[in-house]
Amino acid sequence: MNLTENDIRRIAFETINELGAGVSADVIRENVKKKIENESSNSFNIPSSKTISGRVILTSFGLNKPGIVAAITKSLGDNNCDIMDLSQKIMGDFFTMIMIIDITASAKDLKEIQDDMHKIAEPLNIKIYLQHEDVFRFMHRI
Amino acid sequence: MNYEFTEILETIRMTEIEHFDIRTVTLGISLRDCHDRNIEVTKQKIYDKILRYGKNHVRNAQEIESQFGISIANKRVSVTPISIPFDSFNVEEYVEIAKVLDKAAEEIGIDYIAGFSALVQKGMTNGERELIKAIPLALSQTKRVCSSVNIASTKAGINMDAVNLMADAIKKTAELTKERDSIGCAKLVVFANAVEDNPFVAGAFHGVTEPEVVLNVGISGPGVVLEAIKEAGKVDLQQLAEVIKKTIFKITRAGELIGRKVAEKNGVPFGIVDISLAPTPAEGDSIADILKAMGVEDVGAPGTTAALAMLNDSVKKAGLMASSSVGGMSGAFIPVSEDMGMIRAVQAGNLTLEKLEAMTAVCSVGLDMIAIPGDTPASTIAGIIADESAIGIINDKTTAVRIIPAYGKKLGDMVDYGGLLGKAPIMEVKTISSESFVGRGGRIPAPMRSLTN
Repeated sequence: MNLTENDIRRIAFETINELGAGVSADVIRENVKKKIENESSNSFNIPSSKTISGRVILTSFGLNKPGIVAAITKSLGDNNCDIMDLSQKIMGDFFTMIMIIDITASAKDLKEIQDDMHKIAEPLNIKIYLQHEDVFRFMHRI
Repeated sequence: MNYEFTEILETIRMTEIEHFDIRTVTLGISLRDCHDRNIEVTKQKIYDKILRYGKNHVRNAQEIESQFGISIANKRVSVTPISIPFDSFNVEEYVEIAKVLDKAAEEIGIDYIAGFSALVQKGMTNGERELIKAIPLALSQTKRVCSSVNIASTKAGINMDAVNLMADAIKKTAELTKERDSIGCAKLVVFANAVEDNPFVAGAFHGVTEPEVVLNVGISGPGVVLEAIKEAGKVDLQQLAEVIKKTIFKITRAGELIGRKVAEKNGVPFGIVDISLAPTPAEGDSIADILKAMGVEDVGAPGTTAALAMLNDSVKKAGLMASSSVGGMSGAFIPVSEDMGMIRAVQAGNLTLEKLEAMTAVCSVGLDMIAIPGDTPASTIAGIIADESAIGIINDKTTAVRIIPAYGKKLGDMVDYGGLLGKAPIMEVKTISSESFVGRGGRIPAPMRSLTN
């Protein structure tokens, strides 16, 4: 993290060379700032798990009524989420459903899909939770 | 399906019903390179550094929260014990530093920043004396800054001069924050054997052997353990220990996952997961309720210490298996004000200060968030700190005293802070004097067990 003055001077010269002559001091300052920030954030060697899977577990329960599965699956389909597994049970008046879905191909991220599901859950008066698969893997598998 | 129906429902139940959450993700930031002989330059360096590393801390944690569906109750920052890099400053300058910490904390959107600290178990430098003097002023003039001072260790013994100074600092802090029930004292911890990677504020600081920046996690699941014990029903204690272990194992795994993800998102190394059972004033999120579910009628009944010892030990064993980065305190916290069950036990007269002291010998920290009458003399507070430290150094464990001599309050009154700090009934303190003993000053030598080499 500790950039020495020499480092900063080097970055400044590199930036000036890249931008060429005739740019204003402000532009150079902005660019140098950005580069320093980049340099700083790369200073730790953190192995990043870019391979994180897009598998999400959807859990839904509430009082049974027609149209729950339809509403959920329609929204998932519209968002290009792939349903990989599905298990559904009725316990008394109670509806429960657990799905494993893959959101890799979806244009939306998990947060947006969660928001969509909240919109579905409210009028149907059910609960829908979406959690990344890793939580379950860490808790229940060694 | 890869997972059983019941496994998935168990996780949902823990996170949605039983208050399982990540209690804190604490970003530790070293300030050792922020010293300058000009105080203004120093302040700017501190501010810039905290912002550089911490500016996205809250947002990153929130993203991980929604991704995994596990809530993270607190996002916090700890810094290098302030007395170490800034040893050359005086009282006024230390207060200035506290204010800049407060400002930086506000800017990055966190509720507490910890590390206005000193490590004086063996002796004090001039700077450390100044810092201790500055504590009451710093805590009364800031909102978010927390302070801790380590005054004893197994290797060094108990620095009684520092104990006396801290007792005075506690009294002074109580007085300076009297209009808010002496809330300053809730942000001030006196330690024996302090750990350097504790993520739990108020006692957190970024130890001198820690890296430039690190992310530590504290998990919390008293509610989950309570439900598991209730569900287990009438089993013998060995089986009960097994139930506790299995539960802690699962929540530790989740804690480590969340910690690593938040660290990764911040682009900083992951440090440790502290598996302490930390209660909150929320109903059902109580250590006292766990002890009662184990079988004692109320906290304070004979058997309480044994039950707590077993709970604490089971927590550690399960955590060690679940994660290779277990650190911090990792046991059971027994604060009074933050635990509804404890509050009720004190009010019913079942739990006394002396019983609590005995319990601290087997739990992870010490006398925590205990309100006592405002007219308790400093020498008595020094005596309490010395007792607690003695338990720590002889048993080679961390102990802490976070005690509130609530200004103007007496036995039967309450202090109420709201939020996570909760409320506490004023507890009875023996009025017989410790003055001649603590007044001797000097240092209680390191115990036998320090000679392990």
